[in-house]
Amino acid sequence: MSFVNLEMLSFNTALVLCGASTIGYLSSLLVKKVKLAKMSTWVLAAAFAFLTVKFFFVMVNSSWFVNPDSKDFLSLCAWAVCAVYLVLQFKTKTRVLGAFISPLILLFLIAAAGEEAGKSIRPQNLQSGLTAAHLFLTIFGEVLFVIASCAGLMFIMQNRLLKSKKLSGMSRLLPSLNDLDRINHLCLLWGFPILSVGIIAGVIFAEMSWKTGWLTDPKIIWTFAAWMIYGFLLHQRLAIGWKGYRMALISGITFILLIVSYVGVKICCPTLHNFI
Amino acid sequence: MLPALRSIGGVEEVLYLSTCNRVEILASVAEDGNALKELSGFLARNGGLNQAEAANSFYEYRGEDAVRHIFRVASSLDSMVMGEAQILGQVKDAYREALAEYATGVVINRLMHCSFRAAKRVRSETGIAVNPVSVSHAAVELAKKIFGTLTGKIILLIGAGEMAELTGTQLIEKGAQSIIVANRSLAQAELLAEKFHGEAVALDALEKKLIEADIVISSTGAPDFIVTADMLKKIHHRRKNRLLFLIDIAVPRDIDPDASELENVYLYNIDNLQDIVDENINARRKEAIKAEKIIDEELERFINWQKELESVPTIVSLRNKADDIVKAEIEKASGWMNDLKKEDQEKIEILINSIVNKVLHSPVSVMKEESSEFNSRDIVAAVRRLFRLD
Repeated sequence: MSFVNLEMLSFNTALVLCGASTIGYLSSLLVKKVKLAKMSTWVLAAAFAFLTVKFFFVMVNSSWFVNPDSKDFLSLCAWAVCAVYLVLQFKTKTRVLGAFISPLILLFLIAAAGEEAGKSIRPQNLQSGLTAAHLFLTIFGEVLFVIASCAGLMFIMQNRLLKSKKLSGMSRLLPSLNDLDRINHLCLLWGFPILSVGIIAGVIFAEMSWKTGWLTDPKIIWTFAAWMIYGFLLHQRLAIGWKGYRMALISGITFILLIVSYVGVKICCPTLHNFI
Repeated sequence: MLPALRSIGGVEEVLYLSTCNRVEILASVAEDGNALKELSGFLARNGGLNQAEAANSFYEYRGEDAVRHIFRVASSLDSMVMGEAQILGQVKDAYREALAEYATGVVINRLMHCSFRAAKRVRSETGIAVNPVSVSHAAVELAKKIFGTLTGKIILLIGAGEMAELTGTQLIEKGAQSIIVANRSLAQAELLAEKFHGEAVALDALEKKLIEADIVISSTGAPDFIVTADMLKKIHHRRKNRLLFLIDIAVPRDIDPDASELENVYLYNIDNLQDIVDENINARRKEAIKAEKIIDEELERFINWQKELESVPTIVSLRNKADDIVKAEIEKASGWMNDLKKEDQEKIEILINSIVNKVLHSPVSVMKEESSEFNSRDIVAAVRRLFRLD
């Protein structure tokens, strides 16, 4: 069997496992059983392992770092979300977070499955180690922000349940407020520097190859806005001491705003990043 | 207690169980004697009850009902607080004591192991013990939903009431770091603080202590609010927006209900907690239906075993008797058998054993069949008589 076939096989296995874990996580919310969520975590960990194997084959197979295709790009997003989630999971034991994260991973994988293999996402003139670093770090940074926001949304739900003075099954299933706040904190703390370095790598590359014009690119403005809000939130947390509800609310709202504006930009505006 | 119970005529095996709201004697007795009467007489004498009182407070279960009862007791279905965990420990202790005194035998040993299994299944397969059914436990559960872990948390008790003390004790047991007691009378505050190795302050230091605290339990008899929303708003910043869990057990209320509207502040009063408890009690009642099904299954297993037990001793003695006869006859025949070849001797022994087995096969299987229907008594008696087993 060739490497390409092995790569496809591990990708498909990962896709099926991720689907299974998503179903597991969502049903654990429905039947309110933590055990099911625990099992789903292991299934997701297996999906992650297969995805890692896929990237191993990709690397053996081609000079992927220099020239990834859209399929690889989307799988990489899924892989990054998965990695961050699993690390958080083993650190904080808040399994129900998976019910929010695993559908996202599944979406990335389904999108990846729909893409044609071998279609390069970058024009020839953009292929360099610097853009690879830019790609990798910005994905990780954004993923951490996504998870921070998911934890924020869960915080808002749990907060509402506790304020309503009822200890329902849902409230028992969701992690404690403190754990959710901690996840938000950790993700912002790690995500901001990673995204910063990713953006700087992009800026250096753009300055070298395009010289002018790139600053007004809508997608760059969009990323820059995300980075600013990110920085603002981290500042409020570390310097002003914001905690709990307000942090959760603002990360939740900005997350939704950013998604909406991203989709808007993608549909309406021409951009240098037209591959994403 | 146990030696006295065992000395009663007709009592074969016995176990004595005493908990906060029940005293029970579990005994396996000979059928024809009046051991049961004597046992209840013993209980009455021991508890200083007259005949009328004894008649009012005693209950008696026999056979299958008794088995079901002990299963329900061990599984905490018969407890005042359904699903509480202590009862199983108490039953286990009682059994350990009986074992140490050699007061139990085949039946009670088996019965107790079956009841432990039933209790374990009820606990793990139903949600009967999942949600708290006391106000203080509900408060602890809420604290965990807010803080995750209680390690390092500081508790502030306002007023030195009993309920506040109980809840404080449980929070400390779950890992809370320390307790501060604030009270109108400093002397009383000191008295309570000493119990927890905590700090005592007068009420005028309350605001300062609210800044340190993570969990506040208030139970004073004051007519007005002791903790107002404005007070909390003022210290919000100095608390660095930390989460704050307020429990108001006082009637009239000590804490301004408006505090509930504040960010990162979670206020529960005694009625809120009681509502949670009531809901959990209802949930336990629903789970109890599932638990009764488990009890039924385990009961059937035990009864089947007991049914077989009736014929087992007779089957064993019948086999032993047959083996003894074979051994004695071969011994007698050893004079002429020794002249035969070793091979032939072995063949003869195999032949004898197989004849004996064939002959015994029908009586043994009939006894087993009948015992599963629970009417092997006559057949067993007949076999004992026919083969002169007694």
